[in-house]
Amino acid sequence: MPAQLIINVHIVKNDLQTGKWQKTMELIYLRIENTTYFLIPLLCKILHNNFPGLQMTNAIILMDVSWATTIVAVVLMCFIPTTKKSILAIFTVIINAILTSIPAVQALGGTTTDFSFYAGTFLGDVPIRIDGLSAWFILIINFTSITGVIYGVGYLKTYKNAAYKLSLHWILFILFHLSMIWVTLLQNGFVFLIAWEIMSLSSMLLVIFDGHLPKTLQAGVNYFVQMHISIVFLTIGFLWVYLETGSFGFHSFQTFFASNNNLWLFIIFFVGFGLKAGFIPLHSWLPHAHPAAPSHISGVMSGVIVKLGIYGLIRVISYVQSDFNLLGEIIISISILTGLYGILNAAVHRDFKKMLAYCTIENIGIIGIGIGLGMIGLGSHSPLLYYLGFGGALLHVLNHSLFKSLLFFAAGSVYQQTHTRDMERLGGLIKNMPQTAIIFLIGAIAIAGIPPFNGFISEFVIYSGLIEGLKLGNINLSSLLILSFAGLSLMGGLSILTFTKSFGTLFLGNERETLPHQPHEVTRIMLLPQYLIIAVMLSIAFVPQWYLAIVGTLLSGMALVSHPIDQGLDVSLLAGYSKTLSHISLYSLLFIAVIGLFWMIRHFAQKNKSIMTGNTWGCAYVAPNNRMQYTGKSYSKPLGKRFSFMLIEKKRYPEIMAGEIFPQPRKYSSHYLDFIEHYIIDNAIRLLLTIVNYFKFIQNGRVQSYVMYGIVFILTIFILTLLNLVK
Amino acid sequence: MLSFVLILIASVFFTGIIVRTKSMASGRKGPGIMQPVKDVVRLFKKGAVYSRTTSFIFQIAPTIYFSSVVMAMMVVPFGQSRGFISFNGDFVFFAYVLALGKFFSIISALDTGSSFEGMGASREALYSLLAEPAFFILMGSFALLTGYTSFHEMFAALHLGSYISYAIAILATFVLVMIVMIENSRMPIDDPKTHLELTMIHEVMILDNSGFDLGLIMSAGFLKFALYGAIIANLFLGMVPYQYSIPLFFIIQGLLAVVIGLIESFIARFRMSHNPQFIFALTSVSLLIFFGVLLVLGKFV
Repeated sequence: MPAQLIINVHIVKNDLQTGKWQKTMELIYLRIENTTYFLIPLLCKILHNNFPGLQMTNAIILMDVSWATTIVAVVLMCFIPTTKKSILAIFTVIINAILTSIPAVQALGGTTTDFSFYAGTFLGDVPIRIDGLSAWFILIINFTSITGVIYGVGYLKTYKNAAYKLSLHWILFILFHLSMIWVTLLQNGFVFLIAWEIMSLSSMLLVIFDGHLPKTLQAGVNYFVQMHISIVFLTIGFLWVYLETGSFGFHSFQTFFASNNNLWLFIIFFVGFGLKAGFIPLHSWLPHAHPAAPSHISGVMSGVIVKLGIYGLIRVISYVQSDFNLLGEIIISISILTGLYGILNAAVHRDFKKMLAYCTIENIGIIGIGIGLGMIGLGSHSPLLYYLGFGGALLHVLNHSLFKSLLFFAAGSVYQQTHTRDMERLGGLIKNMPQTAIIFLIGAIAIAGIPPFNGFISEFVIYSGLIEGLKLGNINLSSLLILSFAGLSLMGGLSILTFTKSFGTLFLGNERETLPHQPHEVTRIMLLPQYLIIAVMLSIAFVPQWYLAIVGTLLSGMALVSHPIDQGLDVSLLAGYSKTLSHISLYSLLFIAVIGLFWMIRHFAQKNKSIMTGNTWGCAYVAPNNRMQYTGKSYSKPLGKRFSFMLIEKKRYPEIMAGEIFPQPRKYSSHYLDFIEHYIIDNAIRLLLTIVNYFKFIQNGRVQSYVMYGIVFILTIFILTLLNLVK
Repeated sequence: MLSFVLILIASVFFTGIIVRTKSMASGRKGPGIMQPVKDVVRLFKKGAVYSRTTSFIFQIAPTIYFSSVVMAMMVVPFGQSRGFISFNGDFVFFAYVLALGKFFSIISALDTGSSFEGMGASREALYSLLAEPAFFILMGSFALLTGYTSFHEMFAALHLGSYISYAIAILATFVLVMIVMIENSRMPIDDPKTHLELTMIHEVMILDNSGFDLGLIMSAGFLKFALYGAIIANLFLGMVPYQYSIPLFFIIQGLLAVVIGLIESFIARFRMSHNPQFIFALTSVSLLIFFGVLLVLGKFV
């Protein structure tokens, strides 16, 4: 048997080498034909345990198989019965994830895989490269997509009757997953944009799953428009490089940055990728799209798609060659503002998915601080700062993808059971949904960066980077970094406020309203991925040195072109910190042990005592009801008042008129507006509309005028060529 | 480990001294210095009443709150002897461990479903978050000044040499004393002796706690006082040999307790709506320290 299998491998290789990808149609045919033959030797190889030796061709095979699986799955999805669709989706995503993870794991070990495929005469050979950076993101994408698809299957159980909707949804999800992976692989600007576009479109269509609701559709369109503004900027960036160097390949960035001003191209890319990542003032799609999407999609979007903006940024940074300090300072300043703005808004909103979306913006700020620090490290020739900055950022990318998807899943469970996203209508859910409550609590503690969970690890690395940066000695830098230090600690405090509020309002106390259906704990298929995420989170919290080592190798091998500190990029610099991190994990264990110890003492001390239950002490008021509990709104109101210059509260209520002796029942409503969206973006759009309105006469609906425009155009061209102005 | 034991001892007397000072300032004889500890011991022996609204969060929160203070105690050094836990950047760990305790004490207050306790929780969350930047800027400035990043090394390397460094030490003491008041919900921020739930912060959060749990919360309060007292003492201890530093430690702790007692006797509580401004002003004092440090290092040229 093995001999035959090996022969099969050879056939494949030969096919690929001689067939050379020339005719795409034929190739797809070929691949579908051979799918089964591909799979068997592959599994055989894994079993024989020699996949460190897998070479370039094998990466091609893996990618082939993943495409073949996807195509088969997409076709199958349209024909199989509704109940099977979700299982097919799970299997396809898992197979794709495994196939793409194999080269990624190798790349993290240090072996970069390079290959290319021929894509027609225009594009030529499209280079594909799986290096440490792509690998890190591929693994994050894969994990979050797997948990997302499993959770989604449980989440969408109630949509059994909408077969067409489900097939489209799962097909899009598979494409979405694959396109995200391809974004991290492609090294050619043009093809990169295609993958980027597929990713944006598929995620937009996933967001509008409930497209019959006008609000959802609106959020989808908003997302759609903003993503295309992002693509415009990216296109400008790639075209600029193309015009200067004559190539769309990423390697031409190197030539560009070597001979041109680094600042402007970087800013163009920063806007393009920043729109995806959600830096302020480019964040305004996030708080609309995340709540509108089904929860497994919000989890994956917030966990991963936002991070691909970060991926793009780091990829561009790896080619930048000067102005590091300036760029680093710009990024840090924007990031601090992003973080504070995000978490302040998160603290006041009552829609719990919106709260999580704003919280994503905060975490992008924290990641941005790390990136900025890393750039300052490059600029001031401090390899340690480079490692701590980018290392902290990458670790936080991983951490955030975990706890944010966890929180979105838990929030989705609450939504599925209660059908409301308004936390003021809920309460006391810990009694009905204890597991979801604990999951949400773990996510909340982790996201606030508190030990003994994983959020603390990455925040600690970034804090260490800030302290390291303080010592660099430059007074401007020290002042900026001490303010970032204060800002980061303020974000920590604010996220405690935000998450105590949301956990307290959602899960604790009594239910504020009687819900139409009694909420129950969600199904096991929805809980399983959440426990998986928690397991990975704990592994980061208790073996952080392992993850730091991976990030260290990744960063030392990152394609930093002619960076100023290449002689000093020694990973052993991190040894001290990896020791510190391992100590922290031990202390976290100690912390848990101390808690356990006092719990035991408490248990024994209370053993023979009378333990009674009674009503909550109402401060001598004897007829309290559930509506009298402290609301989340009031909880964050003092904060909202302090920051009222930024957190715009809109209240709507009829005043009591003079002489209204017996007031009728009346309604009072209040909600917070996004300062940037409401005052800056909306005003800009209004201005644009006013200006554009003056040109309304051009599009007047008369065919005659349109014909005339055509004639005028042709005449102009004709005259211009006659005068030799246009060639 | 020395610091751990010393903080433990100091905490036994700390609150007693405050109470005694207050009663003497108001012309009363007052209870014995050990009275608060005796109260707590009595609480430890009692049974408990739990609200029907509460869940297991309410049960575990006091334990976690107390443990977080114990963990924080392990981080604080004493003069040249390091704390049980000491590593580069341990002050971040210190602040975040305390934050876990705070997190749980807040959600346990929310767990009761009482609007009064929710109000206290809201204030506690807001005030402690506003105090956070002051502490971090202070520690960042020390790190910049000494070139070290762990509590122990920073304090060991602090030298009082020039006039500016005296100014820095005085400002730092002021900031830390104020942080003590905020963290322990004492006078200018919160009045522990008020009888009206509407105007309480910490006291209203623990309205429903009783028995062993209440004892844990009270003793965590004592420990917290001595904990911050130890940090203040460390500002001045440096490399002083033990035979002087240990008595000095207790003198500083006692002095701090008397000062707190006096502040409580002669200053009225601020209006709730003015508290955030006051707390946030601490951050600017911390920034002054930072600029002082830049002066000492000769960065302003």
